[in-house]
This record gives sequence, C-alpha cells and structure tokens, in this order.
Amino acid sequence: MPRRTYNIAMVCDFFFPQPGGVESHIYQVASKLIDRGHKVVVVTHAYDDRKGIRYLTNGIKVYHVPFAIIYRSASFPTVFSFFPMFRNIMLREQIEIVHGHGSLSSLCNEGLLHARTMGLRTVFTDHSLFGFAEAGSILTNKLLKFILSDVDHIICVSHTSKENTVLRAALDPLMVSVIPNALVSENFRPLNYPTEPSAPGAGFGHNPPTAHHLGPNDPVTIVVISRLFYNKGIDLLTASIPRIIMNHPNTRFIIAGSGPKAIDLEQMIEQNVLQDKVEMLGAVRHEQVRDVMVRGHIYLHPSLTEAFGTVIVEAASCGLYVVCTAVGGIPEVLPSHMTVFAKPEEDDLVLATGKAIAALRANRVRTEKFHDQVKVMYSWSNIAKRTERVYQGISGDISETEFYGYETADSAAWGATSRSGVRSFALIDRLKRYYGCGIWAGKLFCLCVVIDYLIFLFCEWWWPRDQIDTAADWPRKHFEDSDED
Amino acid sequence: MLTTAPHLHIRRPSPTTTEFTVSTLPPQTLPLRLLLAVVNLLRLLLGITVLLVLYAKWSLYSPYTAPASPPEALSLASLANALQHVLDSAPGRLAQRAAAGTPAWALGPAALAALYAAVRRVHAAESLLVLRGLGIQTSSSGATVLGAAATRFIPTEKIQDVLINEAFRGFEVRHYLIVVVDGEEDVVVVFPKLLPRRDVVERVWRGVRGCLFDVKPRPKDDDGQARGNGRRTNGKI
Repeated sequence: MPRRTYNIAMVCDFFFPQPGGVESHIYQVASKLIDRGHKVVVVTHAYDDRKGIRYLTNGIKVYHVPFAIIYRSASFPTVFSFFPMFRNIMLREQIEIVHGHGSLSSLCNEGLLHARTMGLRTVFTDHSLFGFAEAGSILTNKLLKFILSDVDHIICVSHTSKENTVLRAALDPLMVSVIPNALVSENFRPLNYPTEPSAPGAGFGHNPPTAHHLGPNDPVTIVVISRLFYNKGIDLLTASIPRIIMNHPNTRFIIAGSGPKAIDLEQMIEQNVLQDKVEMLGAVRHEQVRDVMVRGHIYLHPSLTEAFGTVIVEAASCGLYVVCTAVGGIPEVLPSHMTVFAKPEEDDLVLATGKAIAALRANRVRTEKFHDQVKVMYSWSNIAKRTERVYQGISGDISETEFYGYETADSAAWGATSRSGVRSFALIDRLKRYYGCGIWAGKLFCLCVVIDYLIFLFCEWWWPRDQIDTAADWPRKHFEDSDED
Repeated sequence: MLTTAPHLHIRRPSPTTTEFTVSTLPPQTLPLRLLLAVVNLLRLLLGITVLLVLYAKWSLYSPYTAPASPPEALSLASLANALQHVLDSAPGRLAQRAAAGTPAWALGPAALAALYAAVRRVHAAESLLVLRGLGIQTSSSGATVLGAAATRFIPTEKIQDVLINEAFRGFEVRHYLIVVVDGEEDVVVVFPKLLPRRDVVERVWRGVRGCLFDVKPRPKDDDGQARGNGRRTNGKI
C-alpha cells in the first residue's frame, strides 16, 4: 500500500521574517515534511512589507493573512472574523490536518477552533512552560483548556513540558506526544571540524577528531548566550560571575545577548573591575551564534525556566561542555557526560562551574566527540518522521493500539473525551467536551463554539464550496520510506 | 438570470492574433433576447420619466415662461416650447404633480439612483487582445453604457512576463493574471473587475504565451529558446 501523504497547514502567529525558535521550528519541520512527500502551507499574519502569498525554499507556501492586524485595535470580534478567510484557505489548499504552534498565538488558537468546526483534524504543539499561580497564568491556562478540549493530538517539546501541559489543560496524557526540537548540526560545527565528511573510499571511516588538551596556563572561556531577561536566570549569573572568577582566576566570560538585565551585568563588571575578564557582545544574530560559541570551552546556561533549551544542544554540538540549571525540560536534553547540572541557586551554580572547569583542566571530558554524538541524537528529518506518525495516528491510518500502545478495550467509557479515530466532529459531542471546562467558562466556551458553527453555516451558504478554486500544488517530492534514523 | 458567471470566449481573427474575452453575458437564446429587450425598454422609460420629473421640478422654480408667439424653428426657445407641450400632456401633468409633491432633498438622490440604474451596464466584458510581434491590449468595459471601455496597450518589448498570481481580496484568495511591464512599479492586472476563476485564467495564460512567444517548438526556431519556453509553459505556477 502506498504511504498516504497529507495536506498540512501550520498555523502560527510567529513566522519569518521575525526571528525566533518557534519560527525556525515551523520552517524546519515543514521543510522536512515536504521532503517526505507531504504538502505544507503556513498560515501566519502579515508582517510590515510581507503581505499576501509567498513561497519559501522547498515549496513551502506561506499565507501572510493581512487582516489579523485588526487584532490590535479590537480583540474579541476577530475570534470569528478570521473564519471566512481561514475557511477559504483550507478549502483551496484541500487541507486535511491543521497544526497549530505556540499557546500564546491567537491566530493558532482561532485556527484550531475553526478547523474543528470545519471538520478537520488538528494537532497542537506547545513550545512553552507556564506557571499555575499568577493571575495571567490562570487566564492563559483557561484559554489553553478551551482550545485543547477539542484538539486531536498535542505535541510537547519535552517530558516536563508534557507534564505541564497535561496539568494546565487537564488532558489525557495519552493524547500528548513528546517530540523535541532539533538543530541543523551542520551549522554548529566545532572549530577545526572537517567540513566535508571524508569520502567513503578515502580511508577506513573517518578518523576520530583529535583531542585538544587544555594547557595548565590556558584560560578557560565560559560562554553565555541568552536574552538577558529575568526568567533566563541573569540575576543568578550576575551573582555568580565574581565568585567563579575569584575561585578560578584564569577564567574568561563571553556574554552575548541583549535585554533589560544587561545593566545589572554591566554594573557587576564595573563594581568588581572585571572588564578584562568579562566581555559583553550585545545582541548576536542566530547565524553568528556558532562563531561566538566556538570561542569558549564551557557553555553556562543559568535559566530559571525552559521548555526545551535548544541553545544547550547547539552549544554541545559546537563542542562545549555545558553547565546548566536542572529546571524544566533541560535535564532531558543532553546525556550526562556532556553536562554538569546545578540547582537554580547561586552557590550550586558556582560549585557546578568549578567542577566543570576542574574536569576540563584534568582533560577528563572529550568535548571534541560531542558534535558527532549530538548529530546522531537530533535531526529534523527524525522530528518530521515522528510528527508524521502523529498525523497517521489521528487520521486513523495506523491503528490505535499501535499509536497509543495499549488496547482501547473500554473505549466507550471514555465518552466525550475518547480517542482520535472516534473523536467526533458532531457539534453535540464537541459541546459536551467544552461544557466540562468549568462552571462559567464551560457555558461561555459553548456559546463561542455555537456562534462559530453558525458562522460556518453562513459561510457555506454565502461562499459555496464549489465556488472556491483549488490552488495548484507544488510538485510533490517522491519519498521512499526507510526505517533509518 | 440576466448574467452568468464570467466565462471565456476566444476569437482568432488571424493566425498571429488572439482575443480572449471574459464576459458575464449568457448564451443568446430567444427568451433571453426578449427579456433583455423588455429590460432595456423599461430602463429607457425609467430614464425618460426621471428626466421629465426633474424638468418639471426645475420648471416650478424657473423664472422663464413659455413665450406666447410661436418661436422660430430650431432655437432654444422652440425647445422650451416643445418641453412645455410635453409638460402639458397627461404624463407631463402627472410628473408635475409628482415633482411638486416631492421635496428637493429627496428627489435629488432618488433621481440620481434611478438614472444610474437606467444607464448601468447589465453585462460586464473584459478582453485581452494578443498580437504577436506587436504586444497586447487589455480592455475593460465601463460601468455605464455612456462610458467607453478603458483600454491599455503594452508593446512586446515592454512585456517582461505574463504570469498567474494569487492574492487576498476581501475574504477570499483569488487567482489573477498579471502582466509585468518593464519600468513600471505596478503590474497590470488583466480582467481586473471580473477576476475569472482559475480554469479561465489558466487557459488565457497558456493562450497568451502560445500566441505571444510562440512556444510550440518549430524546427526553424532557435532550439534553446524554444525548449526554455516550452518548459516554462509546462510547469505549474
């Protein structure tokens, strides 16, 4: 049987030209899914001069929907005003699966709601962690619960993120998969790494990279690349740097990034007269990150909360020994021989950094091997393959037993929250799911869903389906399935 | 009933000339012709009535009165005299009464709307004329029967490319055919008002490329160019 391919729409507020982690995640996954023979369009809002329909490399079609700009002046009505446009795009591209990214993206939330109303399968990827206690988090969590009540499947970037999302939105954990981020390892090579792998006939494999030993008088350079915000743990960093340098005088710091905490760092440098030890580079672009990283030996990541932490994977790929706080999804990301963990507190961070410096000085860490190890662990084509499996699961192309890994013997007992294949599109079942969201919220959500459904009926009458042209497909790639990676 | 969805009509007056016309005029059948005749007659009557009422309103306030003696033929006074005769007739008196009963603020906009309905074009037609070696001419019928069609001629050496694009329009995404003109910031949209659907646009696009650049491979043609053009035609946009 030929492998089924899907028409997928990635819906997110965050996309290029704006730089960022979610943006590049969407781009990379979309690009690799296209390599696997699927069709992917990205729906995002218009950026300054970026309106209308564009194509990116590999045939990714991007809809920069112009009228999400209305959002800034009026928030509530746009919940529905995006619907006619959204429906038109879904119909003309013959979309089967809507994949939303990022819980703070209103476009994504609206898109998922409309997609369910239209009877499309939906997947949601959560890229962030949230607290439970503050007022803002409670509101966000309620909204998330509203959106996720009716989503077919959810993807989180780490197990910690999965736990967090399951708790926030009161979900069935089986509905949530963990698919991490990845990196383009070719862009994060260590210094002196052979750019081309040696040709197959040239010798016996390629030689293991030579170890570069740290001389007793060579300074150890510690790199920090982070936006300088509170949640990235910059306060910890500010407190730790003088103590680390006091304990290990032959140490240098390179700090890249900008943000409100830059002033604190500068004050710390001046108070302790560390101008010759600590270098602040300011903001660096993503493509320059590697060049900064390879100047150091240790990467220090003092973040207080992190869903995944792609940057420490990038650092390890560049051959840096990683010192990081054991928060959020970070402990899952790298194997223990590449990292030294610290509790998110000053004393422990200083201690851990000391251990890392000692280990490097004793040449006990083979950092030159990190790149090849990371390359095997993280690749976007692997991510795309796992994402594709989620699509197959929710479309019912692989059996539930295979997808969820258990027998759904008592599937009737799940009732309104039942599994993918039977996650019904019937309005009454959807209303049941939304009604369970809370005493008042449940009724409000039901009202929204009913209005959305009425708008859908109006659209079907005003813009009939047969009046909407289908768009021409980009030539599909032929893909042979292999069980590698 | 009077109009249909925009459809394409291709005319080839000579082997090197093609005219693509997109119009909303349905196929001419006898009932349709009769219906159109009736509609046009009604519109004509509507127009005349409105003009008559307007004249009656004007004559209420007009300081001029019809001269007693018959004026010489073909002068302004004779025209006024004839109009006075019309006003004195039965429909004329009706118009006078209507004019007297309607305040001016209501009569003005109502008359404008009625006149617009009377002169509005029922069918829109837009066309693209392709002349090999010369260029292409776009034309778009005016909104009213009084206005002439807007035409634009683009010589071949100014045409950089003809292609199909997609854009947001209202709550929709539409396909449209554009001509990229050398040295102009904006592209020229073909069929800008009707914006026919994708199948029509694609047929026109293939036709234009076939006629303008002669993409059919011929033995005498420069081989590389023919192959290059052929490939571009076969690919989807």
